[in-house]
Amino acid sequence: MTPQPPSPADYRQAAERYIAQLPQGDGLWLTPARRAALRRFGELGFPDPRQEEWRYSRIQGLLQNRYATSDFESRFSAEQVRQQFLGEPLAGRLVFVDGRYRPELSDSDQNAIQLGSLNLAMALGDKPALELLGSLSGSGEHAFAALNLATMQDGAVIRIPAGIQLERPIELLHLTTQAATGHSLRPRHLVLLEADSRATLIERHLALDESDHFTNLVGEIRLAEGARLDHQRIEQEGPRAYHLSELYLELGPRADYRQVSASLGSGWSRFRVNSRFTAPGAHCELDGLYLAGDGQLVDTHLDVDHAVPGCSSREHFKGLLTGKGRAVFDGRIRVREQAQQTDAHLTNANLMLSRQAEIDTKPQLEILADDVQCSHGTSIGQLDEQALFYLRSRGLNEQQARRLLCIGFASEIVDRFPSQALRKQLDQAIRRQLERSGDG
Amino acid sequence: MLSIKNLHASVEGKEILKGIDLEVQTGEVHAIMGPNGSGKSTLAHILAGRDGYQVSAGEVRYLDQDLLGLSVEGRAQAGLFLAMQYPVELPGVNNMTFLRESLNAIRRARGEPEIDAVSFIKRVREKARAVQLDEKLLKRSVNSGFSGGEKKRNEILQMALLEPRLAILDETDSGLDIDALRIVADGVNMLRSQERALIVVTHYQRLLEYIEPDRVHVLAGGRIVRSGGKELALELEERGYGWLLEEAAA
Repeated sequence: MTPQPPSPADYRQAAERYIAQLPQGDGLWLTPARRAALRRFGELGFPDPRQEEWRYSRIQGLLQNRYATSDFESRFSAEQVRQQFLGEPLAGRLVFVDGRYRPELSDSDQNAIQLGSLNLAMALGDKPALELLGSLSGSGEHAFAALNLATMQDGAVIRIPAGIQLERPIELLHLTTQAATGHSLRPRHLVLLEADSRATLIERHLALDESDHFTNLVGEIRLAEGARLDHQRIEQEGPRAYHLSELYLELGPRADYRQVSASLGSGWSRFRVNSRFTAPGAHCELDGLYLAGDGQLVDTHLDVDHAVPGCSSREHFKGLLTGKGRAVFDGRIRVREQAQQTDAHLTNANLMLSRQAEIDTKPQLEILADDVQCSHGTSIGQLDEQALFYLRSRGLNEQQARRLLCIGFASEIVDRFPSQALRKQLDQAIRRQLERSGDG
Repeated sequence: MLSIKNLHASVEGKEILKGIDLEVQTGEVHAIMGPNGSGKSTLAHILAGRDGYQVSAGEVRYLDQDLLGLSVEGRAQAGLFLAMQYPVELPGVNNMTFLRESLNAIRRARGEPEIDAVSFIKRVREKARAVQLDEKLLKRSVNSGFSGGEKKRNEILQMALLEPRLAILDETDSGLDIDALRIVADGVNMLRSQERALIVVTHYQRLLEYIEPDRVHVLAGGRIVRSGGKELALELEERGYGWLLEEAAA
């Protein structure tokens, strides 16, 4: 008999135990906010497949696995971690192993900017930052976001002061080890760009070795007037991992946020972006690639909310599905009544390499204003037979031809990663995916 | 080198080739001419191994192998090259990567080592200059957004790089202005050699002013209705195809 999944009450008790063992005292460990989030969790309960948002992304497996909230020891060598470093010069790097910050492997000594861990901010009583925590996400729109706030372990606090233009990227490197098996990891990030500042953020989630864990991450990013953030994100936590990433964006006047993401391989992953404009002239761009092979589910949810006039947004996501891979794409653009002169466009293209693969794609435009330029488009296709013939007529075998076409399909997104090392990693991930599935 | 005997082929139940016989020797250049719909492109496609054709009778020997029994890539690896009438656009597939992978696939099949990056770049630049293909196009996606002439030059570049034993040019002249035609023809002429044979499929005599054939064949109604020397092409230019079709029908 299949064991019953734990009830919300089990999760609540575990969360309460976690909160109880935190340093209490002056309230800077956000105990009241955590408890409020826990109450919110109690109201929400777990997502239900009858909710449209969760219809195609079942969570039974996740709940069945009873991921523990308790602490544990990670085992890894510094060398293993360093092997994952990018070769390029950075403005700073925060390393998280199994959800916990590792100062000895990080580089956070900065003069011009604030770059440090959330726990440090709590220990130092960094009120301005801590007060913003949860201001974009609220106490959570669904159970997992609420649980993250209630039981967050650590995270990054990044603040770029007004007018500072960073030339080099900041990296948030998340690594998981075998010790994470059976546990939930709850990082939480806060990124603040003050007026007219500029930065690049590279966020990577990689596995040092395979583990069966649940990453439940929430990020909040706020861009003040005229700020620009380029955000690159890669997620590849291994075939047995669950990865849930929720990102809340708030863009001030003329702010410019550009994200390119690649979801390459967790067993089950869900990435949700909520973007909100607070004043005219801002621009939000979300591009992404997702790969799903046998036994994988990759889910992308975008919610771009145009509540003020004169902002623009672009979303372009491409998916490559092999074997029995499953993907969900739900891209919603809301243009509220007062949001005139909105310019918003969304596309989603999927390449299906096998008959067993499945994609549920749903672009949604909800337009209440009348003077706007909006479009959306979705495509689902197979490899082009003429293109395959052309390549084979030049001596490539079918496998090589398919691989070249798949890498070509993905290149539109891959090429938006400025780092050559990252682009190479992405191409390799695509190759491996094709080899594993036998579709390439 | 190539021996086609009594080749019959159909598409979706409709017979297009009705008994083709053709012998091509090493070192020769053959032109296959004929009106639209005569089966010229079908013949070229069948030789290259394209799907969608049913061969109902006949055989094709190429370098002592049963050509029709080889895979598409097997034919290419055995030195057969088809320059296409409509080169396919491959968005996102870098032209340089495509050229290098093709060359290496063919080198591996010949038992040669893969070419190193530096030698490859040198060679491809040299060939691109010879066919006057802008080097910028090497860095772009294969044929994506190329003009008609650029696509054809990219075909000739591939041919020059892969050094086939038997090259078939399918209407390579279509859609080219006179300058582009000359460049393409120069590229083809560079490849003429005693080790190599060429089959030039064309509707017009124009291309043959620049690529002088040893033999000219007229394909009409799925058969070769007339073969001759290069003077046959001139006669066709003067008199059109009508008289041949009437003769064939008689």
